[in-house]
Amino acid sequence: MVDKGPVISLCRSLLRAGHQYPDYNIREYAKRRTLEGFRMNKNLTDHSKVEEAYAEGKKQLEVVERVVKVYLAYPPRTKNIMELKLQ
Amino acid sequence: SKLPYNPPPRIYHATLKRVLRKASSFQSISFGRFQSSKRIRLQISCAAKPETVQKVSDIVKEQLALSADTALTAESKFSALGADSLDTVEIVMALEEKFDISVEETEAQNITTIQEAADLIEDLVQKKPTAQAS
Repeated sequence: MVDKGPVISLCRSLLRAGHQYPDYNIREYAKRRTLEGFRMNKNLTDHSKVEEAYAEGKKQLEVVERVVKVYLAYPPRTKNIMELKLQ
Repeated sequence: SKLPYNPPPRIYHATLKRVLRKASSFQSISFGRFQSSKRIRLQISCAAKPETVQKVSDIVKEQLALSADTALTAESKFSALGADSLDTVEIVMALEEKFDISVEETEAQNITTIQEAADLIEDLVQKKPTAQAS
């Protein structure tokens, strides 16, 4: 049975990993998707389902960390227009 | 005796005296003395500045989608404002981004009120320049 603590840690790790992307689109998507994913499974009570969701979260964390390295090798040359402040 | 810097001649004598005094009393500076001055420094930086508290309140209002005129005091608990643990994680990430700091896992779990967040932020912002200098 996974407790609340590790789940919150996993959420934080995913958010931190997703924050490293240099590309605006995938960075926002990672943040949006992790929060949505955790909120969706917030009220699960079945132990096996909780374990399943936690295992999937861990898998996704590995994926994000691997893909971040690829993205960092080819950073975008210009800033995305969504990142510019309104003038 | 050569000083590592060139003070203006006016205060040369005073700084020379200070350097020599420090050098001669080096043996007598105990770790106890050093620790007590460190303790005093921590006490002074205990309370956070009002601007920091205000910035934290603005971020909290934005993340929890509260109306602009909800009164937020420094002692408001996040849970009382309707935030669950995931919302708290989101708030801490937003604060990390805004103030360009990195909050540890254990420290982040202890944040329950706006005042605590502001205190932690000030503490980390203060430690940052020294880490960059070294």
